[in-house]
Amino acid sequence: MARILVVDDEHALRLLYAHELTQEGHTVDTAESAEEGVAKVRANQYDVVILDIRMPGKDGLEALGEMLAERRNVKVIINSAYSTYKDNFMSWAAEEYVVKSTDLTELKEKVAEVISR
Amino acid sequence: MRSPRELTVPGGLLRDTIAVVLAGGQGTRLYPLTKHRAKPAVSFGGIYRIIDFTLSNCVNSGLRRILLLTQFKSFSLDRHLQQGWSILRHELGEFIIQLPPQQRMVRSWYEGTADAIFQNIYNLQEQRPKYTVVLSGDHVYLMDYAPMLATHVHNEADLTMAAIEVPRAEARRFGVMQVDENLRVVGFEEKPEDPRPIPGRDACVASMGVYVFTTETLVHRVLEDAKKPASDHDFGKNVIPGMINRDRVFAYPMPGQDDKRPYWRDIGTLDSYWEASLDLLKPDPPMNIYRRAWPIRTYHEQRPPALVDHDGSQSEPKVVNSILAKGTHVTSATVEWSILSTDAIVRSGAEVRESVLMNRVQVGRGVRVRRAIVDKDVNIPPGEEVGYDLDRDRRRFLVTENGIVVIPRGFVFG
Repeated sequence: MARILVVDDEHALRLLYAHELTQEGHTVDTAESAEEGVAKVRANQYDVVILDIRMPGKDGLEALGEMLAERRNVKVIINSAYSTYKDNFMSWAAEEYVVKSTDLTELKEKVAEVISR
Repeated sequence: MRSPRELTVPGGLLRDTIAVVLAGGQGTRLYPLTKHRAKPAVSFGGIYRIIDFTLSNCVNSGLRRILLLTQFKSFSLDRHLQQGWSILRHELGEFIIQLPPQQRMVRSWYEGTADAIFQNIYNLQEQRPKYTVVLSGDHVYLMDYAPMLATHVHNEADLTMAAIEVPRAEARRFGVMQVDENLRVVGFEEKPEDPRPIPGRDACVASMGVYVFTTETLVHRVLEDAKKPASDHDFGKNVIPGMINRDRVFAYPMPGQDDKRPYWRDIGTLDSYWEASLDLLKPDPPMNIYRRAWPIRTYHEQRPPALVDHDGSQSEPKVVNSILAKGTHVTSATVEWSILSTDAIVRSGAEVRESVLMNRVQVGRGVRVRRAIVDKDVNIPPGEEVGYDLDRDRRRFLVTENGIVVIPRGFVFG
């Protein structure tokens, strides 16, 4: 299956995503900040990056730009509690945009879609 | 050329539009003029710099939100913009902002025209213009962008490309398009080996590199292109060909001025620089820079008026078909078909023909200069000849394909 990086400042969510996505058969890595996420993208090759937007320090949109700088073909799914960033040009660089939910059905579907592209 | 734009341009349209001027060209083919300055900062027409034409077109068209993307040797450009173009009011939402690569999205310089936009998506997001006009900082032409914008809106287009007819023999240097009867672009190829002509004619429709984009489409297409590692990230080569069958792409024929054929020049080479310079001197110039209705702005140094005088020697001063900028001084010399830029001096008995002398060039007594471009601060000592013995000139200077001698800035004659 796929190598996935989850970037989210909330510890509980990182655990949840890691658990659920591992259950699906993926290998999951996590980062607790945009900075750490960018550093991990620089060091490793992921099939998908699941990226939160509102985080302390750099936000996810900024991180997205920097990830693209590291790897032009990096595939990012934005996973934010807010849908307002959908209108932001920077977010259009992501493959998909998922509004956060405790039900991970949509997120899992999008992961599968992005991997299969 | 000016169309009744009050009637054709919906209110607020220009305020909803941003102009992005690509001013990052390295201008390797204009070397040595570009040794010390970016291509758009190269002097032109005695008092201007090349970029003045595009910026004046913007301001005269009512496009007063301008992002200028620069990257190479921008110091002289910086200074010129500061001195000559600090005219827009931020309070009114007008600006010219210079943007070197932010390295926000990419860690490199701008790779291609589309990459320059990609790296500035953040700035487009900040401004959120409905339409984005993408222009080049190294073209010489006079054009009102407002009717083009109105046409773009009328056509509900994603992209409108300004177009000009060129002889088929020259079309290989351009992006060549095919259009249907509604001017919708149905084919496009950048620098084609075998350009497709207008049916029944020996001419092609060329793209001028003047684009009106609906911003949202622009952002989508540029992002898609940015993710393709094999792409050169160039509008003409990569982005536009992919839009033809997918988006609404239209051509906008550049209108002519005063019933003349439209005039547009890409100052890409030293020869095209020289030719475009001499075009200004034709009795009925193909590009009229003298109309009050379309002023070309620049920075004007405080210099005295030009002076042509007779020192009582045998040779009479004679100036024909030439531009004399402020501070120039011609004494009992012959100047024909030439541009004398600010503070150029031509001394007694000298002859200057078909040449461009940049600021502060001094042509000594009895010197003969023909078909030359002499960059700033060159002092040609008495008795020298330039442009008459090209073999000799080739050993000292760059001589172009068309035999134009180029003396670089600060050259010292031994």
